[in-house]
Amino acid sequence: MEIFGIPAASLVQSFINGLALGWIYILIAMGLSLVFGTMRILQFAHGEVYMLGAYAVYDFVVLHGLSFLAAMPLCMATGLILGLILERFFFRPLGGEFLPTIMIALGVMIVLQAMATVGFGVTPKSIPSFAPHAVEVLGLRLGSDRLIAVAVSIALILLLYLFLKRTKLGLALTAAAQHREASLLMGINPTHMSVAAMAIGSVMASVAGGLMGSIFPINPVMGGTALMKGLIIIILGGMGSLPGVVVGGLILGFIDGVAPVVSGAATAAIAPLFIVTIILVLRPQGLFGHE
Amino acid sequence: MPILETVGLTRYFGGLAAVVDLNLRVSRREVFGLIGPNGAGKSTILNLIAGSLRPKSGRVVFNGEDVTDLAAHSRAGRGIARVFQANTVFPDASVATNVRVGFHLHTGIRFWESFFGWKSATEGREKLLYEKTLEILRLVGLYEERNLAATSLPHASQRRLCLAIALAARPSLLLLDEPVTGMTAEEVTAMLSIIRALRDEKGIGCVLVEHNMRAVMNVCDRIAVVNYGEKIAEGPPAEISEDPAVIEAYLGVEEDAV
Amino acid sequence: MSKGLPVAWAKRSALAILIVLLFCVPLVLRNDYWLFVFCLAWINVLLASSLRTIYRTGELSLGQVGFMLLGAYSSALLSMRLGIPVWLTMLIGGLFAAGMALLLSFPVLRTKGVYFSVLTFLIAEIFRLAMWYMPSLSGGPAGLSKIPPPGTINLFGITSIGFATKSNYYYLLAVVVLFSLLLLQRAERSLGFTWMAIRQNDDLAESVGIDVRGYKLIAFVIGCFFAGIAGSLFAHFMHLLTTDVTAMFGMLTSIYVAIYMVAGGEARMAGPIVGAVVLTLAPEVARPLKEYQPIVFGALVIFIMFFMRQGIIALPYYLRRWGRRAAAGQERRLGENGTVR
Repeated sequence: MEIFGIPAASLVQSFINGLALGWIYILIAMGLSLVFGTMRILQFAHGEVYMLGAYAVYDFVVLHGLSFLAAMPLCMATGLILGLILERFFFRPLGGEFLPTIMIALGVMIVLQAMATVGFGVTPKSIPSFAPHAVEVLGLRLGSDRLIAVAVSIALILLLYLFLKRTKLGLALTAAAQHREASLLMGINPTHMSVAAMAIGSVMASVAGGLMGSIFPINPVMGGTALMKGLIIIILGGMGSLPGVVVGGLILGFIDGVAPVVSGAATAAIAPLFIVTIILVLRPQGLFGHE
Repeated sequence: MPILETVGLTRYFGGLAAVVDLNLRVSRREVFGLIGPNGAGKSTILNLIAGSLRPKSGRVVFNGEDVTDLAAHSRAGRGIARVFQANTVFPDASVATNVRVGFHLHTGIRFWESFFGWKSATEGREKLLYEKTLEILRLVGLYEERNLAATSLPHASQRRLCLAIALAARPSLLLLDEPVTGMTAEEVTAMLSIIRALRDEKGIGCVLVEHNMRAVMNVCDRIAVVNYGEKIAEGPPAEISEDPAVIEAYLGVEEDAV
Repeated sequence: MSKGLPVAWAKRSALAILIVLLFCVPLVLRNDYWLFVFCLAWINVLLASSLRTIYRTGELSLGQVGFMLLGAYSSALLSMRLGIPVWLTMLIGGLFAAGMALLLSFPVLRTKGVYFSVLTFLIAEIFRLAMWYMPSLSGGPAGLSKIPPPGTINLFGITSIGFATKSNYYYLLAVVVLFSLLLLQRAERSLGFTWMAIRQNDDLAESVGIDVRGYKLIAFVIGCFFAGIAGSLFAHFMHLLTTDVTAMFGMLTSIYVAIYMVAGGEARMAGPIVGAVVLTLAPEVARPLKEYQPIVFGALVIFIMFFMRQGIIALPYYLRRWGRRAAAGQERRLGENGTVR
């Protein structure tokens, strides 16, 4: 069977590949969206947290011989520490002003990227897959590592959802993201919210990096691509809206997976940007955003 | 000829009818009050007249000219100036500079004069504008504060600054959105006398949206009352205060009034 | 603020001396590499200044590099494929970029704030990718090479200025950029006040009759025009345009241009100039540090944002402030807002 002149099987295969990647991007975008919604800043160094998460796993697994399972918590810890340091020493002193915050985030981005280059070199590194076998489902071959990555991503996102809806801190975070002044009036401490947002966001980013690193080779500039994907997703879905991130991420994953096969690399690269441009102009709050 | 007319003005927000078939007539040199309970659509009406919102149907006619399709800044050029509900000033500038911006359409400085830096032309003009700025500041009672940062002024003074900025644009009609809200009795009296002076000495009328009933009754020549986007009464203050429909519309509000 | 006549003349003379010194640079620098760096600095100055023009209306464009790309490629292709004289194609490059900006202004100027910045960022990226995927125009992985230099200038038959040596490029860049800066300064002089009004409160500006959309459009088109000119200059200076994008027209360069402006200080025209010069030369000074060099650059940016938020040009102000604080010997927090201009 053929669709657009391409065998349906390989179409579905690419679709699923794209979705798998999409879930990891969703992890990244979630963090970005949470930080933007709560702190109203675009955390340009978010991609570097993701990149350093990947290198952390590389360091633990390849250079220190730990198992992937043991490396993951350490990777999360790395992300957490990084996020807390960034919030406390780089973002908090600025008071959320638009231009200085962007500039500092950019400066941090440059420094972190350089540090990774210094520490690990510029050539791409590989982390041996933690699940180097494939699974046959309905006649399709799916890498187990991708499946597990998707599973972990979904699990984390569900955890986040539960956290935001069921815990006191989570509800406060949601409130702060939706209406800053009202939440202040209710006694919600904005500093605590910023810390929580950065902590959660950075942990998710570093886990995403670790997961991605075990599927693809890593390099010090991978943060830029991740940031771009994250940006696209949160604009598609709506800045500050978490369900929007999931929808946006799935759409992007779909395009990333299917478009190269159907219409070639050019469209695949440009189409998402083009769509996002149109959204920014016509409906800047995205599919689910509220402003 | 009335200076301002709205004909069948209608505006929806989604499914909500904010303004419905509104017909107003504001005469020249008139202080025209626009009152109604909260959410009646008063600010929307001002927005429609000023041009920051477009109506679904109906027309806005200013000085005999249909301005419905004109952008807000073009309407300002025709002589409609507006004072917003919240204190809206240029935050990083002094009081005098704030007013100076208001002169934008009337500086008399040609583009090429400033581009080529012909000092004689521009410097003379700037001096003249500064004199005019001081004149306006004296009128609203902010002369002493002319070099202070606009944001350092107390609320009532900022209100007067907003009025001054609007006056710089040489309007023939002002749109005042709650000009005396948040002021003490003294400040209200001062503001009202400025509004009266503008009408009597400068011939500048206004459409005034306010909640302060005493102020409204005091200063307005005619009043229109809106409720749920529709005009329910219109006439001189004495008539309005007796009108049963008006009293009914406000009855609920008075009981909840804080 | 009234300045006495002598002060104005002192400023003019200082500026004149500075320009003379700048023209002496190739005579002093024997090193071809450093001359190259200085030439790049001139181009960065123009880019950063073009960004500032747009920022005067309150919008931070993160896509100047995209318009630089348009100028560079159009100028290169016109001169290479159609044989049009380089002097003309360089101008056309700028006009093409301005034309695109005009076209794009309809959607772009509907957005504000962070959305505008992200949108311009994405547009630059779309331009870049479009070039990457049109190898017939961009020369594919090898790129466009042997882009011709500007034609030799014949000075009344007495002498001719060719562009075989780097120093003549330097002079060309200096002249073009200085002239562009003059034009930008003139525009600022006529339109700057209104632009600032729009930046500080666009609703209020609109209500007193300022055509906000129109003024933003002018700033945007002017800014993109000069970004295009910077691109044309770049193309005929480097003689090579590769689509190895991260190096030339990638996201990072867009960010660098913004950094030049902010770190230099956007309040004055001199700000982006100083910022571009300092931050183009500094990494070169730190080049011996190799991979550590970006760390120095990034750290410098962070430092400036923390301690010198108004930028490098405000250095005298900050020195005085630090001096006062040291003299007082106490910790006092001086407020930064409420500065009256």
